[in-house]
Amino acid sequence: MKKWNKKKARRWLSACLAGLMVSSLAACGGKPDSVNVLPKEEEEERLVNLFSPMEKTDPNAENVARNACDLTIIMAEERLGTKMVYRTYTAESYQDKTYDDVTLDRARHNMDDIYLLNPDTLLILGAEGKLMDLSGLDNVKNLREIVRVANTVDGKLVAVPQEVVAYGLFVNKDLFDQYELPLPETPEEFLECCRVFQENGIETPVGANRWWLETFVFAQAYADLYNGGNTEAEIAALDRGETRYSDYMRPGFDFLKELIDRGYIDAEKASVSEAIEVERPDFLVGKTPIVMAYWGAANTETAYGKTDFEMQVIGFPSSRGPMPVISMTGFGIGAEAEHQEDAADLLNVMLSDEALQIYSETNRVISPSKNVKVDCVPALQPLNDRIEEGIYVLGANAGMNVEQWGNTCLIVRDLLNGASVDECMTAFDELQNAALER
Amino acid sequence: MKKKPGKRLKLKRPSFFLSIVLVFCILGTIVTGISRKITQEMSAAAVQNLSESLDLIQCTIEAIFRSQAEFQMLIAQEVARVESPEAYILACERNKSMAKMSLILSGETVGVSNDGEPFDAGSLDFSGGGSILDLPVSRSYVNYLGAWAYTIQCPVERDGKVIGTLYGEYIYDAIDASLPNGFYNMQACIYVMDAESERFVLKPKGMGQRNAGHLNLDDFYRANDIQDEQIRAEVKGCLSSGKNILFYHDIQGVHALNYMWPVNDGTIFLVGYVPVEAIQQEGRTVNQSILIVVAAMLTAFMLCVLLYYLSWRERDKIRKEREEERKIHSQQLADALQAAQIASESKTTFLSNMSHDIRTPMNAVLGFATLLSKEAENPVKVREYTKKILSSGQHLLSLINDILDVSKIESGKVVLNFEKFALNDVISSVDAIIQPMAAARGQSFHLSVTGVRHEYLIGDETRINQILINLLSNAVKYTPENGQIWFRIIGLKQRSNQYEHICIEVEDTGYGMTPEYLKTIFDAFTRAENSTTNKVQGTGLGMAITKSIVEMMGGTIEVFSEVNRGSLFRVELELRILEGQDSRQFWERWGISRILAVDGDPESRENIQALMNDSGIQLDILSDEKKADAWIKSGAEYQLALLNWEVHGTAAVKQLREALPDTVPILLLAEAGADLNEALSIKRVSVLAKPFFVSAFQEKMEEIWSEKDAEVPAEPDSGGLEGLHFLVAEDNEINAEILMELLEAEGASCEIMENGRLAVERFQQAAEGEFHAILMDVQMPVMNGHQATQAIRALERKDAKRIPIIAMTANAFAEDEKAALDAGMNAHVAKPLDMELLKRVIRQYVR
Repeated sequence: MKKWNKKKARRWLSACLAGLMVSSLAACGGKPDSVNVLPKEEEEERLVNLFSPMEKTDPNAENVARNACDLTIIMAEERLGTKMVYRTYTAESYQDKTYDDVTLDRARHNMDDIYLLNPDTLLILGAEGKLMDLSGLDNVKNLREIVRVANTVDGKLVAVPQEVVAYGLFVNKDLFDQYELPLPETPEEFLECCRVFQENGIETPVGANRWWLETFVFAQAYADLYNGGNTEAEIAALDRGETRYSDYMRPGFDFLKELIDRGYIDAEKASVSEAIEVERPDFLVGKTPIVMAYWGAANTETAYGKTDFEMQVIGFPSSRGPMPVISMTGFGIGAEAEHQEDAADLLNVMLSDEALQIYSETNRVISPSKNVKVDCVPALQPLNDRIEEGIYVLGANAGMNVEQWGNTCLIVRDLLNGASVDECMTAFDELQNAALER
Repeated sequence: MKKKPGKRLKLKRPSFFLSIVLVFCILGTIVTGISRKITQEMSAAAVQNLSESLDLIQCTIEAIFRSQAEFQMLIAQEVARVESPEAYILACERNKSMAKMSLILSGETVGVSNDGEPFDAGSLDFSGGGSILDLPVSRSYVNYLGAWAYTIQCPVERDGKVIGTLYGEYIYDAIDASLPNGFYNMQACIYVMDAESERFVLKPKGMGQRNAGHLNLDDFYRANDIQDEQIRAEVKGCLSSGKNILFYHDIQGVHALNYMWPVNDGTIFLVGYVPVEAIQQEGRTVNQSILIVVAAMLTAFMLCVLLYYLSWRERDKIRKEREEERKIHSQQLADALQAAQIASESKTTFLSNMSHDIRTPMNAVLGFATLLSKEAENPVKVREYTKKILSSGQHLLSLINDILDVSKIESGKVVLNFEKFALNDVISSVDAIIQPMAAARGQSFHLSVTGVRHEYLIGDETRINQILINLLSNAVKYTPENGQIWFRIIGLKQRSNQYEHICIEVEDTGYGMTPEYLKTIFDAFTRAENSTTNKVQGTGLGMAITKSIVEMMGGTIEVFSEVNRGSLFRVELELRILEGQDSRQFWERWGISRILAVDGDPESRENIQALMNDSGIQLDILSDEKKADAWIKSGAEYQLALLNWEVHGTAAVKQLREALPDTVPILLLAEAGADLNEALSIKRVSVLAKPFFVSAFQEKMEEIWSEKDAEVPAEPDSGGLEGLHFLVAEDNEINAEILMELLEAEGASCEIMENGRLAVERFQQAAEGEFHAILMDVQMPVMNGHQATQAIRALERKDAKRIPIIAMTANAFAEDEKAALDAGMNAHVAKPLDMELLKRVIRQYVR
């Protein structure tokens, strides 16, 4: 046995040496294929421009939401051999053009191929015919009906989201427990909580920015419309002018006004604050017990994904209890985009169940695909329970002839800047009238 | 000085390994040094390379700016030439570089743009944008396309008079198209920053990591954790002075070179970073190549070392094997030589000894024979000389027997003759021989038997005798006068029910042996002292024979000895127990059912108990005579009593005699030579020699009862062979004559035949009863004794089958005796003739 092993070892050694010799000789005998020493040019790269906003980042922090989207983009790039080029813009301050403004400009002038669109811009651009009809993409057949409805303008599916964005109130449960306050479900309960907090030294119980206060309004305005069992008829009545948006909106604005008047919201600060940027530090250190944000913020370290206290995400106060507000930020393709075909192919892959599964698992959000389901983090459970019950309001609905999300946002800013509730309602009436005239 | 190769080798190894380690250290230092130098040089080169790259980008952007300014100046000239400048502007179309062209005529605040919209220059800030070819440039802003843009202001002059101002809006995206595709293999990051606002206005798509996105310089530094005060201060200084800066800082955990590079006199900056790894890619490759080469060389070196080592080890192994082989051969040769020399010396010594030992008694025989012939008329002298001749002859015979024994054992011809025997017989016969010898030398001879459970065994009694006599006679020989000799038979724990495990110990207080001699004591032809210088006579073969016999019997022999202290020989044997020896009948026959034994020696008591276990009689063994007296008085009836005389003495005998009825015999267990006169004078007291054996006990009882009954006829007279006539087959005339004389001296007559055939013929011719027996030699010419016996037995005569034929031969071994009996002879008597033995044999067969 020993002899055999030795023999075998010798054979192996001989073989290795022979192999080494042959490879050495082969290495010496190489001959270039061409006299041109320049490396061969690769085939022309197919590029698709994506215009999207960006978040301000912390050092070495991982942006989960961004990563989730990147993963689907990488998947699409690898499948199609097409490269996505990122174009970004984010307003540095309220004085700058907003992302939506810039998006509108760029989309109108065909500066990019794919745009990440907020509900108001997609409605505007869809109405202007600046967006491609995406209903022809293979993977849109998997979309939930609510998603399809919310993104359809004039019968065209103008945008498709990678997540259904649910907005809610992010509350510091420890503080509520400290002051023995139940989590608020109605506007009255919410006011009571704010009162108690304020009495206990928390001067501004609600952290707000200039973007998301309209969610309070939507919750109260459309709680009955979307959950009363007569949604289509009520929307139709609004579209026909038989009912007024201002009638729906008033309670919410009155509520906001009260919050502002009582000092529960710092209107001045909110009117110049970008989303999350200002209210986040106070919320994280426990100075502010309530902020509002989107679902994914609960998973994102750069937002509220890592707190030292027990955080819960609940619906906005309404007559029907906690009310999630759902909105969708979708990808649209320019109707005259330079690389429209490649962009459509990329988006199609990005919207596949496989890609959305990755997205949802990474970001732990509600998927627009009816085939994809992912568990949420514990903090989101209260909000998720309500959505699972089918209780929510839409922050944007392309089926309404008055764009909701953007307009309401702007009118809320007016309120923040000192406008009265009546003035705000007048603004809604004007918008509705203009829509009716169209 | 003797060399110590092993030690030197051990000392050499560490220094050898240290040398290798040193070589590797030097090599490692050199390689590290080279590698570091290359890294530094390549790093410096990379910094230079990065600087050049950034210079190139800077120049490219500035060239674009200049082109745009020149283009705008040309348009301004055209506008100045045309009749309707506004119409000209409206006719201009937007292109990828120019987003908008506007004109405000002198004296007006609002002009016209090529998109047809009115143009108001009030929203443009030319305070911090610098200039291109002396044309003012506005600060960056997001234009109507949603893109970062800047505007160049150019006066429109006609005939040396400014008639208006031309505003050209350019987007930064236009620069992107003119930049190279790929920046440090897309690992780097580059932004174009507006210096005034510190806003990032362009992130060229082919110039860096695509997923990074930052709003402004502050965001960039915060995101990448560039918070060092010194760096921030220097950066600030560069921003204000329009100078460039390169500094190292880790970005996302990657060591990177960060830069700020002014363009167009610092109105915009190139901002970003390049991972050092990307910069030093070539250096790393070179280092990797060096390391690979070094690793390959080291591997090759190690391989060579390994191959050398393997080869050396193989050769060393072969060398060692050969050396070992040579050593073994040399050793074997030396051993063989030594053995041969020893054998030669032993044989020489032996021959010398034998020569001496044989000549000595022979000398006595011949000398006394000579004297006898001279003193034939003097009966006293005749008897004296004859006795001495006989003694010398006996000694000579024992010498010859030993020599022959050794010869037979060595040639493997010895066959053990297993037969039943009584241990008592062996001990008695040995005791009978040794006791007088020891007594003659004034030595105390002690015999003891303990723990033996069976005395009837199967074995070669003769050889066992031989062992014992050898050991004991040596003890007698080598123990000075008045010394002590112990002969112990110890029954050991049986390993099998069928075998008695016996230990025989012979101990003396003799001269003892040196340790050196002990090693060779069992070798043939050795003797403690040279016979030529020692009074002790012997062949030196006794112990060799003893050991051989013991081993043939499956036993062991060992010896312990100290000079002048004595020796102890211990033999262990396992002898098969003879089954079916039931002594019950004997006791029943004599009507003995209960025996009293008085013995104060516990060992002796135990011995008696063990041996009498199967006798079927009630044995009451008591430790003293008083107890015995009490038992007797209590009514116990005994037919026989035993008493250890050495322990209890004559008084106890008397006491016992008084207690027991006169008809009950008392046997005293006593050692040979004990003074028992007084004790034996007591009525019906006899002696039984120690050690106690049932067979001896029975014999003694038979003797006592025989005396008592006086019914047993007296032993036939063992006198001469008067009147007997023998046929003798003997080819040797002298032997024949001696035999004839001896027989005649005993009153018998014989006819001598020279060989077997003649003996057969003579017997055929003889009348029935003419011969009382035939004394047959074995080795004879014509027909040997065996053949002759067979021929006689085969004769058709009535007495052919029954006439006693006694072998009388010098073939004296057991197998010779067996062969004789097998041939049909009745008995075997070895030569030289022992007349007494011959007479006993003849009387046994001739009635």
